[in-house]
Amino acid sequence: MNPELINDCVHCGFCLPACPTYTLWGEEMDSPRGRIHLMKQYVEGTALTPEMAGHFDACLGCMACVSACPSGVQYDRLIESARAEVERVHRRPVADRAFRALVFGLFPYPRRLRALRLPLRLGERLTPRLRPLLERLDPRLAAMAELAPPVTRRVRLPRRVAARGERRATVGVLTGCVQGEFFPGVNAATVRVLAMEGCEVVIPPGQGCCGALSVHSGRAEEAAGFARRTIETFERAGVDTVIVNAAGCGSSTKEYAELLAADPAWAARARALRFADLAEFLAELGPVAERHPLPVTVAYHDACHLAHAQGIRAQPRALLATIPGLRLREVPDAAMCCGSAGTYNLFQPLAARDLGDRKAEQVLSVGADLLVSANPGCTMQIAAAARRRGERIRVAHTAEVLDASLRGLPPTTLGRAREHTSGPTSAERAQ
Amino acid sequence: MTPAQAELSGRLLPILGPNGVITDPVRLRTYECDGLTYHRATPAIVVLPETAEQVAAVVRVCDETGTPFVARGSGTGLSGGALPRADGVLIVTSRMRRIIEIDVDNRRAVVEPGVTNLAISEAARPYGYYYAPDPSSQQVCSIGGNIAENSGGAHCLKYGFTVNHVLALELVTPDGEIVQLDAMDPGYDLLGAFIGSEGTLGIATKITVRLSRAPEVVTTLLAAFRDVESGGRAVSAIIGAGIVPAAIEMMDALAIEAAEAAVRCEYPAGAGAVLIVELDGPEAEVAHQFARVEALCRETGAFELRIADDPAERAAIWKGRKSAFAAVGRISPAYLVQDGVVPRTALPKVLAGIEELSARYGIRVANVFHAGDGNLHPLVLFDDAEEGAGERAERVSGEILDLCIAHGGSITGEHGVGVDKSRYMPKMFTPEDLDTMQLVRCAFDPKNLSNPGKIFPTPRLCGEAPGVRKGVHPLVASGEAELF
Amino acid sequence: MALPPAKALAAIGVTIREALPEDAVAGVAPRWVALPGSTSEVAAVMRAAAEHGLTVVPAGGGTKLGWGPPPRRCDLLLRTRRLDRILEHAAGDLVARVEAGVRTEALAAALAGAGQELALDIPFEGATIGGTLAAATAGPRRLRYGTARDLLIGITVVLADGTIARSGGKVVKNVAGYDLGKLFTGSQGTLGVITEATFRLHPLPSSRAWIGLTAPGLDGLPDLAALAASQAEPSAVEIDWPGVDAPLSIAALFEGVAAGERAKAAVASLGLGKTAGEPVGGTGGESAAGVGAACRLPADAGDSRGGAPSIAFEPPAWWGRLPGEEFLLEMRVPPGAAVQALAQVARSAREAGDVPVRVRGSVVSAVLHVALPGDTHAQQAERFVSGLRSGLAAHGGRLVVWTAPPDAASRLDRWGPVGAATLMRRVKERFDPEERLSPGRLPGIPPSSGRQSGGGPPSAGRPSAGETPSEGRPAGGGPPSGGGERV
Ligand SMILES: Cc1cc2nc3c(=O)[nH]c(=O)nc-3n(C[C@H](O)[C@H](O)[C@H](O)COP(=O)(O)OP(=O)(O)OC[C@H]3O[C@@H](n4cnc5c(N)ncnc54)[C@H](O)[C@@H]3O)c2cc1C
Ligand code: SF4
Ligand code: SF4
Repeated sequence: MNPELINDCVHCGFCLPACPTYTLWGEEMDSPRGRIHLMKQYVEGTALTPEMAGHFDACLGCMACVSACPSGVQYDRLIESARAEVERVHRRPVADRAFRALVFGLFPYPRRLRALRLPLRLGERLTPRLRPLLERLDPRLAAMAELAPPVTRRVRLPRRVAARGERRATVGVLTGCVQGEFFPGVNAATVRVLAMEGCEVVIPPGQGCCGALSVHSGRAEEAAGFARRTIETFERAGVDTVIVNAAGCGSSTKEYAELLAADPAWAARARALRFADLAEFLAELGPVAERHPLPVTVAYHDACHLAHAQGIRAQPRALLATIPGLRLREVPDAAMCCGSAGTYNLFQPLAARDLGDRKAEQVLSVGADLLVSANPGCTMQIAAAARRRGERIRVAHTAEVLDASLRGLPPTTLGRAREHTSGPTSAERAQ
Repeated sequence: MTPAQAELSGRLLPILGPNGVITDPVRLRTYECDGLTYHRATPAIVVLPETAEQVAAVVRVCDETGTPFVARGSGTGLSGGALPRADGVLIVTSRMRRIIEIDVDNRRAVVEPGVTNLAISEAARPYGYYYAPDPSSQQVCSIGGNIAENSGGAHCLKYGFTVNHVLALELVTPDGEIVQLDAMDPGYDLLGAFIGSEGTLGIATKITVRLSRAPEVVTTLLAAFRDVESGGRAVSAIIGAGIVPAAIEMMDALAIEAAEAAVRCEYPAGAGAVLIVELDGPEAEVAHQFARVEALCRETGAFELRIADDPAERAAIWKGRKSAFAAVGRISPAYLVQDGVVPRTALPKVLAGIEELSARYGIRVANVFHAGDGNLHPLVLFDDAEEGAGERAERVSGEILDLCIAHGGSITGEHGVGVDKSRYMPKMFTPEDLDTMQLVRCAFDPKNLSNPGKIFPTPRLCGEAPGVRKGVHPLVASGEAELF
Repeated sequence: MALPPAKALAAIGVTIREALPEDAVAGVAPRWVALPGSTSEVAAVMRAAAEHGLTVVPAGGGTKLGWGPPPRRCDLLLRTRRLDRILEHAAGDLVARVEAGVRTEALAAALAGAGQELALDIPFEGATIGGTLAAATAGPRRLRYGTARDLLIGITVVLADGTIARSGGKVVKNVAGYDLGKLFTGSQGTLGVITEATFRLHPLPSSRAWIGLTAPGLDGLPDLAALAASQAEPSAVEIDWPGVDAPLSIAALFEGVAAGERAKAAVASLGLGKTAGEPVGGTGGESAAGVGAACRLPADAGDSRGGAPSIAFEPPAWWGRLPGEEFLLEMRVPPGAAVQALAQVARSAREAGDVPVRVRGSVVSAVLHVALPGDTHAQQAERFVSGLRSGLAAHGGRLVVWTAPPDAASRLDRWGPVGAATLMRRVKERFDPEERLSPGRLPGIPPSSGRQSGGGPPSAGRPSAGETPSEGRPAGGGPPSGGGERV
């Protein structure tokens, strides 16, 4: 933890109301200012106590505090190093360690995730009955079961898709681990949209995790390994721009150069590649493909890793606004995290659930047909919270909405795959 | 845990439950300071009450055990008002943040003390109302803290301070009674006396504020001047013309530089000073006054004027001003924020004096101020890595206050005295003045338990009779006679 | 040392004379009158009084000396009229520092020279600044500018023991130390003698215009809250109701640039009808777009409300005047309950046997004065006051009895319940432990029957429970409160 970064904080408190955990609990040590203060205590020689570690763990990493801070405090870098420090010196209780090992041994690895698909498909039917049992065992397991997305058929993406019409750019696409396994439709839509907008799209096979989960959990070494591998993959594919459609991956790939700073050669290779969010890239490129009307009312949710970490708020809204017939509704308190936050809902299920409940209430209040965001984790989280309230909300990724408009599909095709209560419909099976 | 801590927490736990009492040393330390990080003390215990009854119960425990207590809202105070006592209880209102009622018929809102200033305006906005006092920290500071500090903001030139907008208060007195103060009550204006008392007279647990009607039109003008003097002349000319703008704010070259670095506000290049003038009210009036203001700015040497009448343009103009405090962090490793007031007409002289101090000590000073009411916020910049720079900055900051006093001004316009400025109080007030204020203190808090050590340099015990003044008449004390 | 008081007073070099009959305070005759000419002379008088155990009642112009309960005792009347200098008028700073004995008219004249004013409408001729503060009087424009406490920025007082104390200063923005000015505003001479005050001033408005309306009765009253909240921004909205069966006159003041046009626009947008008064010449025409949002009048309102609205550049004759002085009550209610308060006046008047009342005041700031005839039967008065008070309490309102004829006064609870009575008493005990200043006049706390001392009329009041706050525990700290039923 860099004391200079800590000293940038002038203790003004402007970040407090933006922070989800402060909003929930009203305690200084679960606010950004308080966490920075804890880091200060630590670098000044206070031992890392379980309490201290608990307050770092409770941070969602949503970076709302970064957006709110007028002094430019780099909380993102601070919390990353704090988490690394926790991993290094703090010994968690056995159960915690086992659970963390499970998550980190699973999520970043597509093949292992794939192996999980079968038990999950079983679990789907079992979940309602299993829930109370799991809840008693460990609320985190229950959270995992609840959030597990429905099993959809794998979509195999081609290695290369030609641009429709005049070629305006050549780009790579990061397929991601969780995204690729659980939401293959999003990647397919991303590729189609890019192609229709005149991009030649390269999708290198054998991609793994980009390292986001690890870096956001204080596992810098592991993350650096994933980063090197990802960079290599795209270098080999011969692209210099890589499109990312998951908010969390977007923010971590953009920070590769910093992550690899210890190795100047690798840092330079990282800098040579440009990672761009899909909406960010399309907004720069400008629309050419014809948009067909899509009569639907959309609530757009700002994923934290897009809005706060990458400052991308206007572009997705602008993209949606190019679609005739689409009505965009703003969700109140939009800057507040939904509680999904990568693996947060797995490690801190109770806080995540409270935040999800708040967010669902706000989203439902605007009366939209469809909830759109650039992060599947968010939409799953909000949909789960809505279900707890006995309501349903259809969800889709920005790419899917654009895809539907470009292909002239009716709005009813959107968001059905995310409904969780029954298995995939026959239409989806046929996808 | 020390035995004293253990005993206290033993009595507080049944009131608040384990979730509402903090005794872990690492957690306690995060409460060691407010927005003024210079003064620190780790509280013995922190409590997080959710109701007035809990606050009263905690205060009664303090009263019975002779434990000092300090209230804290959002901890953004800039005078160390919420500095805890190492031997005391810190009572934090951050969980008392319900908006109890937005009462449009009576143009008022009833809120708990932990509600943020901005949250009130946001809750009232759908009805066309807002809460007028607008400290720059409004997104985070609590209304309870505003009450304690009598906070103002850029728009208090026209609309007044917190004290002008509070209609009633529920208060826990330092002996643990819940008392209602209401502007409608006859008798001493205890409501007015409580506001601005910096937590030394008890804890506000429910606050009724007046809601103001949003003005018909708001127009904002940014005028760039070559130097601060001509900007100052423009201010005098505007006020002299009988215009009371909603706000007149000024920034000097250094402050502009900082704001530019932080938020790229794009103020006119080459400006030695910018003036932000906001007019609001009925359209006919604003239009007329605006033409006057524009002409006066040109006459006094403005070389560029920008005018905004929609919210986005207005925000662009205000962006630089609002970020100014935090922004100086970008041009200086460390800084002190000062808060002093001078009569508006003395501004040129005082600014010249500050420049002189700055040159003498080799310390840069950026000036951001509420020009309309003479409230200066000099930002004294220094490098904390440099030997002795901190002390020199302190000297400059202190001598700026001396300048303010010498020109008939005040040592604080909105940040309060707290611990930071209590030593300046004797420069502004005689011992008699301070003793008299102490009488109010003793009436509310005879045991000196409520935020002791703040405001007053050397608090007197309430039993001590200064000068010819005598204590409560013995006959009254013994119950043999009645006073009234 | 052991000089008789008269000699001792003479020895301090302050003008002292024997009291005359007209120096009586609410019927209580003082023995001497002191006329100090400076703050330090006031201090000398107070020290001498302390030494000789004399009670003191401070007085300014005497316009409201009869307000509130009579003092239990009054040895020395301290008149501030020789403290009559305007010490400083910093026009560029919009600030004036004056001595307490300055007459409000004199101050207004001096400030007008620089195009400025102290934006208090003081309903008396001859009132002094000190008296105005001590009685916390304010008039119609409180809606825009607040009351004396909102305009006061610094104060100098002399305490019961002769201590001279200041708070605030001469800058508008100042949060250093406790604001003693607030405490002394409304203190009715019971905490100390106000000797100097500093105010923030306002530029004199460039023009003024009044809307005048009449309504046949309460039912036909236009939506005055909407008028007050209108973005045309009136400075005051007042009513005059000469009797519960009489029509009501309403007047609203607009100040500043284009006052006339704004008044006219407000009339139009609120659907108050077509203006009948002289047309307002000038430029803007119907400029107040957006005001309509505030309008909550039914579309067909207008005919049922009597005369068409007029616009004038002079106030109506009753504007800013009290409805009466001999028997005067003040109602304060939350603004949303103003009309209910008026209805309650009518109801209570009827229930008390049709006592004639006249109501006047600020209907949107909801401070209304009620005058009864001086010869109102004491029992009727009692019934009216208690009925009205409990009716207002239901709407969160208060009723204060400022003046009353002697036989009625003895039956009336002057103040009604006051939530902070205990705290007020504790403040009084600290400031004036020997109860030297205006004993028995402490606002908010009924005089107890306990210590009647010579000179006082027998009217100092029956015991009352008025002070018991509904929430708090029984009064601690102070002397027992007398108890007894509320009158
Ligand atoms: C960047 C920045 C800008 C600022 N700008 C302004 C400005 O423009 N204008 C301005 O006036 N101030 C400004 N401030 C100062 C500060 O925000 C105000 O003083 C604010 O009112 C403090 O509120 P708080 O909730 O943070 O109170 P705290 O700092 O927690 O407490 C302040 C004082 O209030 C007391 N207190 C808190 N709650 C209660 C309660 N319920 N009852 C009784 N006492 C209580 C505390 O004991 C303490 O003495 C600024 C501060 C910062 C950091
Ligand atoms: S990252 Fe989010 S949860 Fe963590 S401190 Fe910042 S605002 Fe709070
Ligand atoms: S807003 Fe920034 S400087 Fe202020 S407390 Fe939060 S992190 Fe620190």
